[in-house]
Amino acid sequence: MFRNVLGRLVTETGCVRRYVVKALVTRKVSAASVSVRSFSDVKDEVGQPFDVSLLEFLVCPLSKKPLRYEAKTNELINKELGIAYPIVDGIPNMIPQEARLIQKDIDTSTTPMQD
Amino acid sequence: MAASVRLLVRPALRLSDRNINPVASGASGFSGCCCGWPSARCFSDAVGDRSTHFGFETVPETEKSKRVYKVFENVAQKYDLMNDAMSLGIHRLWKDTLLHVMHPQPGVRLLDVAGGTGDIAFRFLEYIRFQQEWQKRGGARSMQTPSWQDISSNYSRENEDRLQESKAVVCDINKEMLKVGKQKADSMGISAGLSWVVGDAEELPFDDDQFDIYTIAFGIRNVTHIDQALQEALRVLKPGGRFMCLEFSKVTNPVLARLYDAYSFQMIPVLGEVIAGDWKSYQYLVESIRKFPDQEEFKQMIDDAGFYCVQYYNLTGGVVALHSGFKL
Repeated sequence: MFRNVLGRLVTETGCVRRYVVKALVTRKVSAASVSVRSFSDVKDEVGQPFDVSLLEFLVCPLSKKPLRYEAKTNELINKELGIAYPIVDGIPNMIPQEARLIQKDIDTSTTPMQD
Repeated sequence: MAASVRLLVRPALRLSDRNINPVASGASGFSGCCCGWPSARCFSDAVGDRSTHFGFETVPETEKSKRVYKVFENVAQKYDLMNDAMSLGIHRLWKDTLLHVMHPQPGVRLLDVAGGTGDIAFRFLEYIRFQQEWQKRGGARSMQTPSWQDISSNYSRENEDRLQESKAVVCDINKEMLKVGKQKADSMGISAGLSWVVGDAEELPFDDDQFDIYTIAFGIRNVTHIDQALQEALRVLKPGGRFMCLEFSKVTNPVLARLYDAYSFQMIPVLGEVIAGDWKSYQYLVESIRKFPDQEEFKQMIDDAGFYCVQYYNLTGGVVALHSGFKL
């Protein structure tokens, strides 16, 4: 379909050709990149923007205290217990075992799990 | 073939299980959840580190959640397709029934636990949007000759956009299921008022008295400590909030029960293998349905957790039961 339009425009105006080719190329590229971008968007950006309105009722599952959103590391911090919950693809991961301890003596991801 | 042999072997295994447990009784110094819980599970819990059922197997409690996680991680991509195939599409009717019984009004907040691919949340938002349009249409019909004041107030009311007030939060312990759900939402173009959180039903990351409606559809049988999940449900619900649970249950009609059993044990794992390439996960699924308490027992559990006006509706002859309770 684009080729017909292109052909007609080229025969009609010569100087437009340059712009049309560019437009066609960009259109083709953008068409391809849009479909690609929708996947890479999800992967490349550090998750989609986290919905801060969630913080109204989101709390730490262990202490039930409110959390602080740290945009730099994209985590939710519980200062009291010193743990940070990661946010992946805009979805906060509130499983205690997945939280990270933010202390000098890092004990990887073994936060105290209540029985 | 193999399935029918398994069908014969299962009851034998189950009997042997029950014989072992009372024999191995131990000093019970366990605290917390199981104290005074009048169910058969107490016998097995008294054996050293507590064990529970994973389908027809008995596994330590710590292992159950890991294995359940693996099951759903494996089936996540084909989950919706499998649901349609296994229930012949009837699961859609069950979920629609849940929404009709729920009858949510614009402005309420829903928490869908074990919501995975988001079926309930999507239906919820759809229902509310439909209701709002209906109201608007009703409003428009009554205003045949509006004055300029009426027109301007109508415009300002539209800008309020009450759909934003209705919020649906989907919580699931499994990231893969939520990812599939999020992709579905993006492809359907639903994003307003929908949130996704990875969380444990036994330890919800939500504050007290936050939600109007708590739903858990076909998820509660996978929870290791159902009573803890019920306690958490009670905690996060607002006073006056409603707890609703869709779950597979005991079929009341004996003829239908035989057919259902045959279908479950012989067709479903086969479908699982053919469509999702995973026999064992679907074997677990049908076994876990058998291990789940029946309608009355589950109603009792919900009542014990502190809910009021607990009732259940049998759907499809008892294949699925919809339990409902209020926090008052």
